[in-house]
Amino acid sequence: MKLAQKYNRVNLITSLIILVLSGAIYYLAIHYILTNKLDNDLKIEEEEIIASVLKYKKLPLPSDFKDQKVTYEELKNKEPAERSFSNTSYYNPEEKEIEPGRSLLTNVRIGKQDYKVTITKSSLEAEDLVRLIFLITLGVIAILLISLTIVNRFILSSLWRPFYETLKQLKAFNLADKNEFSVQYTQIDEFQELNQSVISMSDRVRQDYKELKSFTDNASHEMMTPLAVINAKLDTLIQTEALSDQQGELIEDVYLAVNKLSRLNQSLLLLAKIENNLIKDEEDIALDILIAQKIRQFKELFTAGDIRIEQHLDNQHLLMSKYLADILLNNLINNAIRHNVQGGGIKISLLDGRLSIANTGSGKALDGSRAFERFYKDSSSEGTGLGLAITSQICNLYRYKLTYNYETGWHIFTIQF
Amino acid sequence: MKILLIEDEAALRDGIIAYFTEEGNICETADDYASALTKINIYNYDCIVLDLTLPDGDGMEILRELKRLHKNDGVLIISARHSLDDKLSGLNLGADDYLVKPFHLSELKARVSAIVRRKNFDGNNLIVFREISIDTLAMKTVVGNDNVNLTKKEYDLLVYFIANQNKVITKSALAEHLWGDEIDLSDHFDFIYTHIKNLRKKLVEAGCNDYIKSMYGVGYKFSS
Repeated sequence: MKLAQKYNRVNLITSLIILVLSGAIYYLAIHYILTNKLDNDLKIEEEEIIASVLKYKKLPLPSDFKDQKVTYEELKNKEPAERSFSNTSYYNPEEKEIEPGRSLLTNVRIGKQDYKVTITKSSLEAEDLVRLIFLITLGVIAILLISLTIVNRFILSSLWRPFYETLKQLKAFNLADKNEFSVQYTQIDEFQELNQSVISMSDRVRQDYKELKSFTDNASHEMMTPLAVINAKLDTLIQTEALSDQQGELIEDVYLAVNKLSRLNQSLLLLAKIENNLIKDEEDIALDILIAQKIRQFKELFTAGDIRIEQHLDNQHLLMSKYLADILLNNLINNAIRHNVQGGGIKISLLDGRLSIANTGSGKALDGSRAFERFYKDSSSEGTGLGLAITSQICNLYRYKLTYNYETGWHIFTIQF
Repeated sequence: MKILLIEDEAALRDGIIAYFTEEGNICETADDYASALTKINIYNYDCIVLDLTLPDGDGMEILRELKRLHKNDGVLIISARHSLDDKLSGLNLGADDYLVKPFHLSELKARVSAIVRRKNFDGNNLIVFREISIDTLAMKTVVGNDNVNLTKKEYDLLVYFIANQNKVITKSALAEHLWGDEIDLSDHFDFIYTHIKNLRKKLVEAGCNDYIKSMYGVGYKFSS
């Protein structure tokens, strides 16, 4: 749930409860006041009747009263009823309809005779007034809630805009990218502080990353020269005459190790270069032609492993570095051969902007989440463990989507361009 | 041929010199930028093997100097940097080839030989080894008077062997030369064997002596 939504919800519920409560109190209070006023009016009538009885010793005529109805009842041997107010109905002779009313029941004594007097007055006006006030209150509540919602929505969203802007950039943050954070100016202290922290954090992280990378770069470069020396010395060593077969085998192993080390080094350098975006010679590449060329180039390896190759290549042009395109295909095809089984197969298809290279191999799927990590490799693999990391890094560079799937014996690598 | 090796790493320099000097080549060395500049100003070389990273200067400057002097020396760059930019700017400045460290001495020798051949004969030349003669322009191989029909790989092998005659060449050097370093052939040296077997067979059938000797474990040697 978004903060604004949560805040809005709490805010609105609280306002609603308070407004409904105050509306109810308001209603009750006005109702009480108006009833009181009616009762007072009724009392005044009562006093008038009593005054008139005292003066004339007889009851005034019911028709003498306007806007109210007065009835008398002779009480014979009965206890006089208690004086009380009550809500009744009132027949309005002018409107000819029954309206809500308020009546006062009282007793009057003329001589020895007790009379029960009922004075009824229409409370319609009062009820109308209460209803009107109640409606106005409801209207005010509605307007208040609506305006609160609108104000909250607009003000909050504009207040939080710098926050979301920063969040968006944080999400898109990529160590390898050169572009800096461009924070929006905001008057809110908290957001200003957030922006400054984010900027200083990203600078620090970038700096550390840069140092780490230049370390890798330098270390790899520095290692190349001693490797070249080892290689040259070995080349010289094997020229000596009296080299036994056993020595020859030992030397071959050293050659293989040196070769592997220099490959590893070159792969690390390449990774650093791709991450630094140092390879920029983009050109139009006809991928289908390049793949066909690679298949020819690897032909001997296919034959040696008795690997059937199936291909379906549609036209596909890409704007990328030829150097990286070569590496990308070499890595994928090399892998498909290296991890294949004798008499296995490789399927290469280039269809609808999607290249997939599938190979038979071990009957066990790779760990898809880790397959593209550096130095992730099968214990039996002879490779450097960097091939797929480089492949995935190249795909990242050009925003291609590289995925791995395992389907009934086939390991499938797919690139969506 | 007369070669100048500009390289600051003494161990590497010695290895290269040892590999090159044997067959009567003249091989001079320079271990820094200043002495390299002096030498290219005074002498002419068939090929200059140039390390780009020198302690007191940039190897690229030597290329510029050569260009300024209108020298026609062949230049082969050896660099620890596998950088496309370096390679392109080196070639643009007049270098003939670019080799990345670490490399096999046999590869260096083959490349230097190719450069020298192109420089000396203006691209129209024959490689002759006893009864074998190769026209590198037409890529035609002749033994005695007979044309030998070689595949591209067999032809490359033969040229490589002749450039490194009397040297033991490792299988990995041969593999890298034939397939490039894009394909990792470390576990597939059998291919080399197949190609060598075919080459040997074709040469012997054409009446050529068998010059290719297998050195157990290490590689092959082409010698008379």
